[in-house]
Order: sequence, then C-alpha cells, then structure tokens
Amino acid sequence: MYSNLLTDPLVLCITLPLLGAALTTALPRHAVPLGILAALATCSAAVTLGVDVWQHGALRLVLGGWEPELAIGLRADGLAVALALMANLVALGISVYASGYFRDPERMRAFWPLWLLLWAALNGLFLAGDLFNLYVMLELLGITAAALGALTGSREAVSANLRYLLVGLLGSISYLLGVALLYTAHGTLDLGLVARAIAANDRLFAVDAAALVLMVSGLALKAALFPLHFWLPPAHANAPAPVSAALSALVVKASVYLIIRLWLDLFAPITGLAAAMFLALLGAAAVVWGSWRALRAERLKLLAAYSTVAQIGYLFLFLPLLAVTPPGPPRDNLLAALVLMALTHGFAKSGFFLAAGLVQTNAGHDRIDDLGGTAQRLPATTFAIALAGSALIGLPPSGSFIGKWLLMQGAIESGQWWWVIVVTTGSLLASAYVFRVLSRAFGLEPTPLKFVTDARAEVPALLLSLVAVALLGLASGPLWTLLALRAGGGA
Amino acid sequence: MTEPADWARSDRARERARDLSLLLAVLLALLGVVLLAVYFLALNGGAAPRLAELALARVPQSGVGNPVTAVLVNYRAYDTLVELAVLLAAVLGIWSQRPAPPGFQRSSAVLAGMVSWVVPLLIVTSGYMLWVGGYAPGGAFQAGALLGAAGVIVRLAGDPTAGLPGEAVQRWLLVLGVLMFALVGLALMLLGAGFLTYPPKLAKWLILLIESAATIAIGTALAAAYVGGRPSAKGQGPSAGEASAAPSSSSLGPRP
Repeated sequence: MYSNLLTDPLVLCITLPLLGAALTTALPRHAVPLGILAALATCSAAVTLGVDVWQHGALRLVLGGWEPELAIGLRADGLAVALALMANLVALGISVYASGYFRDPERMRAFWPLWLLLWAALNGLFLAGDLFNLYVMLELLGITAAALGALTGSREAVSANLRYLLVGLLGSISYLLGVALLYTAHGTLDLGLVARAIAANDRLFAVDAAALVLMVSGLALKAALFPLHFWLPPAHANAPAPVSAALSALVVKASVYLIIRLWLDLFAPITGLAAAMFLALLGAAAVVWGSWRALRAERLKLLAAYSTVAQIGYLFLFLPLLAVTPPGPPRDNLLAALVLMALTHGFAKSGFFLAAGLVQTNAGHDRIDDLGGTAQRLPATTFAIALAGSALIGLPPSGSFIGKWLLMQGAIESGQWWWVIVVTTGSLLASAYVFRVLSRAFGLEPTPLKFVTDARAEVPALLLSLVAVALLGLASGPLWTLLALRAGGGA
Repeated sequence: MTEPADWARSDRARERARDLSLLLAVLLALLGVVLLAVYFLALNGGAAPRLAELALARVPQSGVGNPVTAVLVNYRAYDTLVELAVLLAAVLGIWSQRPAPPGFQRSSAVLAGMVSWVVPLLIVTSGYMLWVGGYAPGGAFQAGALLGAAGVIVRLAGDPTAGLPGEAVQRWLLVLGVLMFALVGLALMLLGAGFLTYPPKLAKWLILLIESAATIAIGTALAAAYVGGRPSAKGQGPSAGEASAAPSSSSLGPRP
C-alpha cells in the first residue's frame, strides 16, 4: 500500500491531463476553468512526484501486476523528474497565458483538449520505461503538436504544420523500425531489460547499431538537429504564441531527452567516440547556423525559432565529452550542465515566445525593425524578453551560464578545445540577436507609468524568464543531487 | 526564339528529376536490403526467449480467452489507452481546422434501400465483434471500425451528419473510450489494486466495459473523421434541417 501511494503521482501525471482533455472536449463551454483546473492538478502531481523521488530515490512501477517483460513499466529517475518538473511548470505558465489569449471561442475550445493531450504525452514520454510505449507517446505528441501549431488556420501555418506532421511521422516510423529490431533481437521492450541485454550480448552488435542509427536519426529529425531543422522555423513561427512556446520549449526538448536517454542508458556499450563526435559536429553546425539565421531574421518569432535550432545544438556538444570522461565528479558536472542548459532553455524560450506573442498582439505585427517604443508600451514584457534573452546568451547568473561554463571546462579538460570556439561564437551571435531586438524596442517616448499592463499575459512570461535567469543560476545545486538518483537497473 | 531553349531546359530539368528519383529508389532499395539482412541477423541471433510463450501462459489469468485481446486490454492496456487518446487527438485536430463540409446529395431509392439493410447489419456485426473479442479474433478496434464504416455509408447515402448525434452528445461519445479507460484504471488504483491492474475475478467484466466504451468512441471518431470537420453551429443549420428530413432508418446513433 505504501509503495502504491508513492507511485501514484507517476500515474496521475499522465492520467490527470488525459481526464482533463476528455472533460474539456465533452464540456466545451467550460473549457477554460476545466483546463486550468487540470493544469493545476497535473502540475501538483508532478511536484509531488518530484518530492517523492527527492526523498525516496528513483521510482519504478510495472503496470497491471505482470512480469516486467509482459507489461509496461513507468519510471522516474533524477533525469526524468528534472525535465518533467520543468515541463510541468512551463506548461502551467503557458496555460495561464493561454486562458486569456484566444479571442475566438472556437479556437479556445479547440485549444484546451489538444493542449492537455499534448501535456499528457509529454509527461508520458518523460516517465516511460518501455520502448513501444515511447513510440505511442511520440505519436500523440506529434499529432497534437501539429494540430495546435495549425490552430491559427492561416495558409502558412497549415502548410508548415502539415510538413511538421509528415516529418514527425517519418521520424516516428524510423524510431519504430529501430524498436522492432531491438525487440526481435532481445525479446523485450522494457528499457532496463533491453539495456542489460545489449550490454550482455555483443554478438548482436550489428543489430544494435542499426537500431541505434534508425532511432537516433528518427528522433534527430523530430528534435530538429541541423541539417534536419528545415521544418522547425516556419512551424514554430506561425503557431499561436502559447503553442509556439510549448513547441519550442517542450516538444523539441522531449525528443532530445529521448536521444540522451537512449544514448546514455540503452546504447552506452555500443556508442563510440566517433558517433558522438558526428552528432556533436551537427550540433556545432546548428549552433552557428541557427544563431546566424536568428540574427538575420526579420520577425521576432522567427528569431526565437532559429534560436531554438541553435540552443538544441549546444546539447549535442556534450556527447563526445561524456564519451571520454570516466564516471566521477567531472562527468556528473557535464551531465548536470547538459540538463541545466535544457532546463534553462525551456524556461527562457517559453518566456520569450509568450512575451513575443504579447508584443505581436499589441503592435499587430512582430517585425523587429518596427518595434520602436515597445519598452515604453509594454515594460514588463520587454523586461521578460531581456531576461529570457540574457539566459539564451548565457550571461551570469542564468542557468545556461553555468552550463556553458562547465561545457567549456569539460572541453578543455578532455582536449577537445575546438568546442570552445563553437560555444563562444554561438554566444556572441546570441548576444548580437538579443541586443538587436532590445535596441529596437526602446524608443524615445516618455517613461511609462505602469510596469505591468496585462497581468494574466505578462506575469507568466516574466516568471518563466526569471526562473531561467535567477533560480536556475543561483540555486542549481539540488540538480546535482537529483541527477545522482539513477534507476538501479531493470526490474 | 526562346521557346526551343525553354523546351530544352524543361527537358533537362525533367531528366534530372527522373535521375534523382531513380537514384532515390535505388538508395531506398539498398536500405531495405540492409534492413532485411539486419532483421534476419536479429531473428537468428537467438539471444532472447520469445515473449509469446509467456504471453500465452498468462492468458488464463487475464480475464479473456483471446491472446491478442489480452495483450491489448490487459498486459499493455496503458498503450491502448494512449492509442484511444491519439484517435481523439486526430478528430480534435480535424475539428480545429474547419466546420464540416456539406454532405453528398440524397441517394436514390435503390441505394437508400440497400443502406437501410446494410447499416443495421453493420451495427449488429459490430456488437458481435465486440463480444467475440473475448475469446476469438475481434475486439473493440474491429467493432469500432464496423461502426465507423456504417457512418461512412450513411454519409455517402446523403446524410451530412453520417448518422452521428448532435455536437453535444457526439463530444461525449468521442471521449467515452479515454474517459472510461482512465476512470476504471484510477478506480482500481484508489481501491489499492494498482493502475489498470484488474482483479482476476472482475477482469472479464471490466474489460468488457472498457471495450464497449472504446467501440463507441472508435466508431464515432472514424465517422466524425470521415465527415471531416466540426459539427459547428453554422454548419448545423442546413445540416440539421436535412437530417430531420432524412428517413429515421439512417440515423445511426450508437447510444450508450
């Protein structure tokens, strides 16, 4: 009974948003209060889960009371909980913002159930312990993300998101092919059991390697790793603001999380330095190319979308460093820095997109060159953009400052100094594109009287950016403890 | 003067496109061969015991006689719950894009006569499929597909609503599968058995309950997807008028 109580939040994190989605579909007139209620409930389930894992270590639950081979397992270790907590807090902020965003009641009714389904898929993905269940979650995530992205109904949005849907399907199918190979070879779908089978059986190296290539390339397509990022900027830039925030901060991150998880947990025995180096090279190209395109972007949301391409690239730079660093404090630092950068980007980019959405609705456009005076009209929003921007650059005390610092330290210590050049270039370009926006935003109008003009829309953006800069930077210590809570193994 | 040059250019472009697609085809075929080779390697690696034996051995405890149903609604019930959510998301995605387009014109007497025979048969067969899934091939997805097919036929015969009830009821029918599945799972968790862990004595009836709800939800979702848009107030004006003019034999309302 006690252990049941402990694993309850694990299940609730996924079933509560599902129930919320069902109820907001069935009772569209009460979609907003029901949706907010479901958002609050889901978020508190995630926080409870975080507390449980913090106190009792990694949790594991096999559904249905069957053998782990036969049934589906859920699990929550430090890595999963760190990302799930970030995702749920960001999602709560987005929910509050969205409750006032949609003017058209038809859009609002369409938004809430799809949004809660997307939330359920995110939580399901972070907490899954089963390869096929991950595929189902990826499907749900892809369909809801594309449907939400096309919600504005404009021609560009629909075509960009149709492309996103098809690309996502291709990625999922590629992932599924890899799962099929692994299942054929090892006879189980449970993450822990497959990991053990891969480690124990090196005769099947060719099969495992083929599965690795299929799964990682499918997920890299979904994660928009350079040069597979072509679908991301139009899809993210044309979505409604709360959806852009979710797509950029959370949905892409889920695929990256899965790659990291597979790379470090499942395929650890067969991933060599060369493969990690290849992914890191793509990541480096993403950093430079994404930052450059962000600098050249004419629209604020397009800038934010290209910046996501760059920020995803940073995460892949960690792989070759992790490959050559033996277990110990330096490796823990690298892993924590990787997660810290992912978390910071989640908070900062969602804050940025929410603020950009407010600028867009206020000014009627989001052309960067014509944004003069925004700082006077929307001081809180401009402040949120500045905060989020400083987190994207990696200025102290933001979380990504620590992340980049540890990344460069790791690169120098392991002799791979060239990544330092990539990180510095990316940061310089990032400061250029952030200051380009800020320099336009300040006009010559008189100083405003009110700091906050629209609390429900501005406060979430401000809080999310603030978390990215202050909380994750100044109080990132617990992350090290949390990440040390790894699942002991399979069953 | 420029015409021949244009022709030559477009010819060249077409040739290049053809070469490219040929190259792609060859590369994809090669990839297929490599994957097949890897697959047989995996199959003959013989490292792992197959799961099928274990799955078959546990069938008597699962509350159903058909191993496929046991996998879908018991061992891996959680996957099926999410699959139902995927179906719901697909319909909601379609609804978010546009109101339902108008239906086809009313069918002639011959087609209407056939429809009035086929649709009841489909509904009865669907119920049979649902029941038989307990011990033989069948189950909620097959039964739901038959219900959906009945909806498609009704719409083809001229009823723009595909025989579905009004929007308010339709929304409840759509979410019935996810709702019932999740509520049963949570109720079991609250009673101390664990999420979606059926007590062996009750397993058969709980599974039947979930499968019935899922059948209705799947049938509604497929028919609604075929209608291709939300049953909005704007679309309902003319369509409701037409529906009331339709003979009652074509109002397929899978009512719970």
